[in-house]
Amino acid sequence: MKSQSKGLIYLYCVTDGIPQIKELKDLVDNVYFIFRLGLYAVASKVSSDEFSEENLKRNLADLEWIKAKASIHEKIIEGVMKDISVIPFKFATLFNTEDTLKTMLKEQRRILKENLDNLRDKEEWGVKIYCDMGKLKENLIQNDKDLIKLDKEIKSSSPGKAFILWKKKEELVKTILHKRLNEYGQDSFKRLKQHSVASRINKLLPREVTERKEEMILNTAFLIEKIKVADSINTVEDIKLRYAAQGLFFDYTGPWPPYNFCSVGEKAQNA
Amino acid sequence: MHSVIAESKDITLLEILDRVLDKGVVISGDIVISLAEVDLIYVGLKVLISSVETMERLRGAPFAGAMEEPT
Repeated sequence: MKSQSKGLIYLYCVTDGIPQIKELKDLVDNVYFIFRLGLYAVASKVSSDEFSEENLKRNLADLEWIKAKASIHEKIIEGVMKDISVIPFKFATLFNTEDTLKTMLKEQRRILKENLDNLRDKEEWGVKIYCDMGKLKENLIQNDKDLIKLDKEIKSSSPGKAFILWKKKEELVKTILHKRLNEYGQDSFKRLKQHSVASRINKLLPREVTERKEEMILNTAFLIEKIKVADSINTVEDIKLRYAAQGLFFDYTGPWPPYNFCSVGEKAQNA
Repeated sequence: MHSVIAESKDITLLEILDRVLDKGVVISGDIVISLAEVDLIYVGLKVLISSVETMERLRGAPFAGAMEEPT
């Protein structure tokens, strides 16, 4: 019945320059790197008490545990990427031994190097767009020609007809709202994209997760050359002004480890 | 250099979870013990994923040139 606790290797990221990890020891005291064929894997030793398949499953139900560990994962990679390009691995990428990790480095060496070369002098930035639906609706009611016209009709109609028209107005508001959200999203995306070398559209997170009163309407990531980052920041400021009256908010964050822009793994093995 | 622009710590945490749990390189094979399980992380938050689908309709026409996330 008793299970012996065992050491595992937790991999954070891979890079091709010597990682500066001294400061990272405040985050995880046993963080270190493993060198193989020109690649450095930044890893730490963790215990199966926390990260064995069974224990990990249990811990994954604990949001506080996830928050703490995910933050460490991110901070370690951010620390390493201050000086060099990195390939960030997914949360809880675990190896049984250093040897299996080294084998992975050897087998994936070519594709890892290719990715690092592609990522050099580039940064990942994220833009999440939120919309205050109440404010947008208000804005539409006051400015949309069709809605204004309908409103006038309602005011000059008999109560019975006014009710029917009022129902029609509700439907029209909904339709226009969706149409406008799409337009604003596409326009913003197009403007942001012009500074990037690659872009992604990711899953929307609902309000229960974002804990904001506004709805997320677009969740994007861009890979941007470092020299173009200032331009992209200016563009975000432009878009913010452009859509402030419509109730749109833009969260522009970065530089992130290039989580969205690495192609390593099963697909790469077949390539 | 640029630092993370975030109005509060909570936003940063949301941003971190959105990436660390969902993105990043996944290597599968015998050498890794539990990667397949990592998707389970969202189970705790997964209630949420179903309501995402309704919002996704808002994206409407494909955004030209962007790689859609394979789901």
